[in-house]
Amino acid sequence: MNDFSIAGTQSSPAIRGDWAQGLLAMQGDSYPENSYELFHQVFTWIEAYLADAGRPLHLELRLLYLNTSSIKAMMDIFDLLEAAHLAGKAVSVSWLYDQRNERVVELAEEFKEDCTFPFDVVSHD
Amino acid sequence: MIRDRTALEERIASLLEAPAQAENPLYEPLSQLWEAHHDMMRRIDRISRISDAYQSIAKQREMSLAERLEKQLRQLEKVARISDRYQQMMHDLNKALRQASTHDALTGIANRRLLGERLKEEADRNKRYGRSFSIAMLDVDLFKRINDQHGHDVGDRMLVELASVLETEVREQDLCGRWGGEEFLILLPETDLDAAQQVIERVRERVRELTVRVDTELLMVTVSAGIAQQIPGESYSRTISRADLALLQAKRLGRDRCELASETAV
Repeated sequence: MNDFSIAGTQSSPAIRGDWAQGLLAMQGDSYPENSYELFHQVFTWIEAYLADAGRPLHLELRLLYLNTSSIKAMMDIFDLLEAAHLAGKAVSVSWLYDQRNERVVELAEEFKEDCTFPFDVVSHD
Repeated sequence: MIRDRTALEERIASLLEAPAQAENPLYEPLSQLWEAHHDMMRRIDRISRISDAYQSIAKQREMSLAERLEKQLRQLEKVARISDRYQQMMHDLNKALRQASTHDALTGIANRRLLGERLKEEADRNKRYGRSFSIAMLDVDLFKRINDQHGHDVGDRMLVELASVLETEVREQDLCGRWGGEEFLILLPETDLDAAQQVIERVRERVRELTVRVDTELLMVTVSAGIAQQIPGESYSRTISRADLALLQAKRLGRDRCELASETAV
């Protein structure tokens, strides 16, 4: 498996998977028309990484608005990470938010609720 | 019952084993019946074992389905909860955007966009119901002097204080907004020239009482005004032009005064 990247648009986040660094980054708003297709790629990449890489995986999220299907997709991704964590693999998430939009914190905390792996909600400049 | 059966089985087994019974005419059918009985018992045994296995599989499946259903329901609830919060966030952002796009960033009163919307509504209403409105254009006298002598910060403070006085002193149905720079527009719905003049003179009086302290100095301002009443069939931009001309006239006649627009001159 290798790196992949999807350019962001007004309605879909920029997504970048860096296999060598064990990093998956997502940034922007997410209300795409094809959310299943979009997140399927992300999901597949994470599954493959967790199965083959044998190294820690870190998610770096700078997500603002998520529509309902994107919320569902993110919860599926966190479930996948939770299962990997329970299987002894090193996974972690940083959810970065703009200080001018504090409400993203509450939302990130909602996502974090059921996760037992390291999940930080931190402000960025 | 079971003991009776076991005793009976033991008795028959020993009878069938006894050599003395070999010649008994009942020996043959009894031994066949005995075997058939054993066959039946083995079958019942197998059937119960298979049935038990099926039952335990079904039980397990039911439990895992219930577990999955519960998990899905929990997830659905969570998705709905998070989604509601995102929608609320969007709703609030929309409200903030609407407020920002219709209000002046410095003074917080209506901006030119909102004034334009309301003017259009009033013009339409006038067309339908024949209710005429008046427009007053106000301009701070010698504002440039304040900016030049005290800097833009003081000028801005003056505008903020002034806007607050204007907004407080107009009637509830009037709309006061910043038209640009140190120019303000007051829309007076269903108001003729005389009534509009009374409102504007009262407003100008309050402005004259306004003082803004800069260090030890007290700054005061006056405003000039031009008022025009909309003529049936006239576009609101033409009414504004007439109010502007009246304002210009007020400036020419020495400032700190209010002039009424004539119905024809543009």
